[in-house]
Amino acid sequence: MASIARPMLLRQCCNASAARAALRPSTFRSITPLARQPLKSQFVRDTLPISSRVAAFHAEGRKAILPPLPQRVEGTTNDPVHIPSPSPSHGSYHWTAERVIAAALIPLTVAPFAGASLNPVTDGILCALLVAHSHIGFQACIIDYFPTWRVPGVRKGLNWVLNISTVIVLIGLYEFETNDVGIVEAVKRVWKA
Amino acid sequence: MAALRTSTTRLLQATRVSQPIWRRAFASVEPVGAAGQTTTTANRPVVPESKTSTVKEPVVDKDAKIKSFHIYRWNPDEPTSKPRMQTYTLDLNKTGPMVLDALIRIKNEVDPTLTFRRSCREGICGSCAMNIDGVNTLACLCRIPTDTAKETRIYPLPHTYVVKDLVPDMTLFYKQYRSIKPYLQRDTPPPDGRENRQSQAERRKLDGLYECILCACCSTSCPSYWWNTEEYLGPAVLLQSYRWIADSRDEKTEERKDALNNGMSLYRCHTILNCSRTCPKGLNPALAIAEIKKSMAFS
Repeated sequence: MASIARPMLLRQCCNASAARAALRPSTFRSITPLARQPLKSQFVRDTLPISSRVAAFHAEGRKAILPPLPQRVEGTTNDPVHIPSPSPSHGSYHWTAERVIAAALIPLTVAPFAGASLNPVTDGILCALLVAHSHIGFQACIIDYFPTWRVPGVRKGLNWVLNISTVIVLIGLYEFETNDVGIVEAVKRVWKA
Repeated sequence: MAALRTSTTRLLQATRVSQPIWRRAFASVEPVGAAGQTTTTANRPVVPESKTSTVKEPVVDKDAKIKSFHIYRWNPDEPTSKPRMQTYTLDLNKTGPMVLDALIRIKNEVDPTLTFRRSCREGICGSCAMNIDGVNTLACLCRIPTDTAKETRIYPLPHTYVVKDLVPDMTLFYKQYRSIKPYLQRDTPPPDGRENRQSQAERRKLDGLYECILCACCSTSCPSYWWNTEEYLGPAVLLQSYRWIADSRDEKTEERKDALNNGMSLYRCHTILNCSRTCPKGLNPALAIAEIKKSMAFS
């Protein structure tokens, strides 16, 4: 319900602010597209509340980020959709690795604080897994929100941004571990519970 | 409204000035000057309308439960006009209990242009899947909320291409269903040459899977399916896929799993669980997807 209501509310806010901007006397009124108002009698405009002036229909966004393309059917209606060739590294192995990393992070996060022993090896493993975990998470976001068939260029660019930033974070953590106190000790110093 | 009223009175004032010019001239035997005054010729008192009519006005039922339904309308014959919501009011006392009854009654008695799919009216065909009060469900299995203060809103299934009004386009959904080969695949003939036999335990594995009627309520409620409709198969098709993976008589289990073993077809499921929440048949597509993932975890 919330997911349906939220864009509607947002749009109404946008429209309301636009309508208010249109009411304000301004010489640039007709220039801004947001302030475009249908031609109405001055009486109607003054008495009607802003909310009722907004004819929002919530099945249609004002500014869709990725507006749907016209429908396109590949082949005839009786053909099955394309079945991708199997690639376990993107499929089952990827999924298993994701779960293993997520599960391994729990003891790795708790152990140094519970055991109160600072081991550079566990520190390093924790850093590597944290980075891998967040990398997989961001990758999933990119795959979900930027489909290849829709925005191939943006998808490729974002993947590069993600890969480069992951490498930078890894280098930074390596420097932090070797030249400074390390991530566990840093958390211990910052965290005043 | 107040402004409208004042503007109409101003209009009336404006017209009143020019009234003598616009006054209609009736054909009359009387002199022209008297035409505008008393017109009852035989001095007959005017009979009120209520006494001339033989038909009684329908009495407003005091117990009437008037409920309004806002229904999504879009006509492909007018492609430039935007979709709109049309409001219909019905007396719930004269309507069946389900939303489909209300829709059929609107179509029969109020607006024959309202378009929707329906067939069995008992939740076995899956034709009347639509979004009612924000929930994907079958109109024939959804009771009309009896609270007449609240309006019911009916939309087509979300994130589908709309053919007309409440009719979504299911082409891609059926093409995806076809891609999982929803039929028994065997290379070897049955041992006794007659039937492909199954133990009771093996048959029990198919309970909760074979009941799916492919109404697409779950698929169209899945945000992941909204984002990647073209590549992700969606909960309904994956549940059907698991129905054949779990079938002991099927011999192409590994091929079926291989077809799903890529980044998009299966693994776009993020266990959002909208599918299990919305299923009008009470099935659990998310569990079926989890079973597929589990069986493929180390393959």
